[in-house]
Amino acid sequence: MKVLTIAGTSVRRLTRDRSNIFFVFILPMLLILILGAAFGGSSDPRVGVVSSGSGALGEDLAGRISEVEGITVSDWEDKDSLVLAVERGQLEAGVVIPEGYDDTLRNSESVTIEFVSRPDPSAEALKNTVDSAATEQGALLRAAAFTVGQGTADFSEALETAEDVAVATKGLVIEQRTVGEPFAFEQLGRFELGAYSQLLLFVFLTSMTGSAALIQSRQLGVSERMLSTPTPVRTILAGEALGRLSVAMVQGLLIIFGTALMFGVDWGDPLGATATFLVFSLGASGVGMLMGATFKNDQQAGGIGVLVGIGFGALGGCMLPLSIMKIFSPTLYNVAHITPHAWGIEAFEELILYGGTIADITLELAVLAAFAAVVFALGAWRLRAALTK
Amino acid sequence: MRTALLIARKDLRQRFRDRSALIYGILAPLGLAFIFSFVFNPIQNTTFEVEYVVVDEDAGPISVAFGQALGALEDNLGATVRQVDSVQKAEEQVETGSDAFAGEDEEQADAAFLLPAGLSDDVMSGQGGEMTVIGGAGSELGTQIAYSVAEGFAAELGAVEVAVKTAVSFETAPDPETVGLLTEQAAATKNPVTLEDISAATKQLSATTYMAAGMAVFFLFFTVSFGVSGLLEEKRIGTMHRLLAAPISRRSIVIGKALTSFALGIVSMTILVVATTILLDADWGDPLGVAMLVVAAVFSAMGILAIVAATAKTQDQAGNFQAIVSLVLAFLGGTFFSIAQVGGLITTLSLFTPHAWFLRGLGDLQGGEVSSVLPAVAALLAFGLVTGAIAWPFLLRAVDR
Repeated sequence: MKVLTIAGTSVRRLTRDRSNIFFVFILPMLLILILGAAFGGSSDPRVGVVSSGSGALGEDLAGRISEVEGITVSDWEDKDSLVLAVERGQLEAGVVIPEGYDDTLRNSESVTIEFVSRPDPSAEALKNTVDSAATEQGALLRAAAFTVGQGTADFSEALETAEDVAVATKGLVIEQRTVGEPFAFEQLGRFELGAYSQLLLFVFLTSMTGSAALIQSRQLGVSERMLSTPTPVRTILAGEALGRLSVAMVQGLLIIFGTALMFGVDWGDPLGATATFLVFSLGASGVGMLMGATFKNDQQAGGIGVLVGIGFGALGGCMLPLSIMKIFSPTLYNVAHITPHAWGIEAFEELILYGGTIADITLELAVLAAFAAVVFALGAWRLRAALTK
Repeated sequence: MRTALLIARKDLRQRFRDRSALIYGILAPLGLAFIFSFVFNPIQNTTFEVEYVVVDEDAGPISVAFGQALGALEDNLGATVRQVDSVQKAEEQVETGSDAFAGEDEEQADAAFLLPAGLSDDVMSGQGGEMTVIGGAGSELGTQIAYSVAEGFAAELGAVEVAVKTAVSFETAPDPETVGLLTEQAAATKNPVTLEDISAATKQLSATTYMAAGMAVFFLFFTVSFGVSGLLEEKRIGTMHRLLAAPISRRSIVIGKALTSFALGIVSMTILVVATTILLDADWGDPLGVAMLVVAAVFSAMGILAIVAATAKTQDQAGNFQAIVSLVLAFLGGTFFSIAQVGGLITTLSLFTPHAWFLRGLGDLQGGEVSSVLPAVAALLAFGLVTGAIAWPFLLRAVDR
């Protein structure tokens, strides 16, 4: 009973301070939203096109470029802003169709289109893509210019005829088909990746920074007064532990249900998701307890908490997906598994990405449970030492 | 002024003693920059490689010409092109290449080109022929290049024929001789449209530098807050009354706190710049430009946090508000991930944060002269001046309240 009272106090302390609503709920939701908007869904390279003043043929080329599959094309007003956008990374590449493009070509003169890119290997790839659109139009322009050169027709009628001829001509046709599986992440919804990685990041982070509350209790002498009452140390320990866990649970449930309702995130098998979240929270609150017992002042604990919370999150795959680590650096991928985050993420990916059930994530759950057991034992031991000192 | 300096000196000594400034100002940002660069560097340093296979059952003029087109790809892109002898093998290799987790030593390709037997004859006789591009579902970029190369080749190949047929259609009485002559002439013409590269400078920081700079400016807002919120601490522990009882002007007290903030900010930023340059190989750019940006950034942080401190009632409240403001500005300003990726409204909103201007200034410095940081410096100073001016009367009043 006393255990519940102590735990309840922890939750009340969290909810009484309104600004905590921001850290616990609003900030993670905001991040999931921004991450979803930034990186979710299509990740096609972005190409900007400037075509103002280039006339009908310029617009035609711009249209052909925008029809190329696999790139996202946007219109830009002028060359300067396009170049700046490429330089700042808002675009992967840009195309400048010069003013008077139409007129020059109609005079059977040649034109140069400018391709803007950063010194980056994938830029060459994009150039090929844009070039294919230009070659397509170029074939027609070439035919028209050639015919005009014969003195038998003017440019417009020659171009029109060339278009018909091109359609009727049976040249080399390119067929395309694909084999293999697309990269698994392509099948994730817009917000899923952000949702489960931010859930783990923030539940852990809150447990870290929340350890400040434990330190305040000790600083203010609340713990000592509790000890002076007929309450055994183990009850106080259990109460504090349950308190930390409750805080993590409150936050986690808010994020899980919040993202499900607001962003339509599908968390997969409910049983598996609950189990993963529960054992992860246990581990997180264990670490929080350990920190609360180790540090003397709450500002130190806050700073170290942010460092460990964000650092573990980054290392554990909350910022860079684990499967991408696995492709680029197997070492990094292995190191990531010293964090509980990596195990939690893999459990959620099994559930969400591959439709697995709780039976498929027993290894992940076992590792998380073992982690929780170890840190809880350590945390309880240190806290007992700190309280009875 | 002497009193202000005294107050600042006492505050600074206190901050160093309780190590909180050390943790927020140096340890946390440096530690995170280190972890981030460990996590993100492998991707940054990976080069883009494409590998194609060709099944040439045609062995005619077209396959020879296509071979030349692929040769250009090898030169420009560093692509690898191999011949394989069966469609089945080609498909298998593309399938392996599509699997991101396939081992390095397995034979794999991003895409395959199939040129069936008799392709050259069919195309040249006017019946039309078909080349197939097999792409890997997981090798998006490589597949896309393969497809566009093939399309470009087909368009180029058809260009002469289209030109001749178009010209012929305007002849009143085309005889075989005229057609022959036209074909010869058409083959000599060139595509009037050419694509020219104008490489833009990179106004982007390397991943390591971006992370280091992002973390530095993120934590700067916490470090600086130790100074300004010191006012509230003095009130909480009752030392403010004693200060006011002494012949010290309220202005000196506020200036003293501001000096503490300034010194903490400058010292921690300087240490971070130097430490990340040495330890992480971060490239911040020209020291003068960096120095201007750092000073301006510290000013902006002081101003913004002063407003928060001036409006908060207690030290705890100020701490919470400062953390909220700092976090929102940091995320919006792109300290954790490049906000340029997001586009639209959020990218525009990010320009209302000092963080974004600081990072943009450093980016501009990479691609240009020292003077290229001036717009960012001006924006940062403007943040500091406007917010500082608003906060000043509130701070003076807060001393009494």
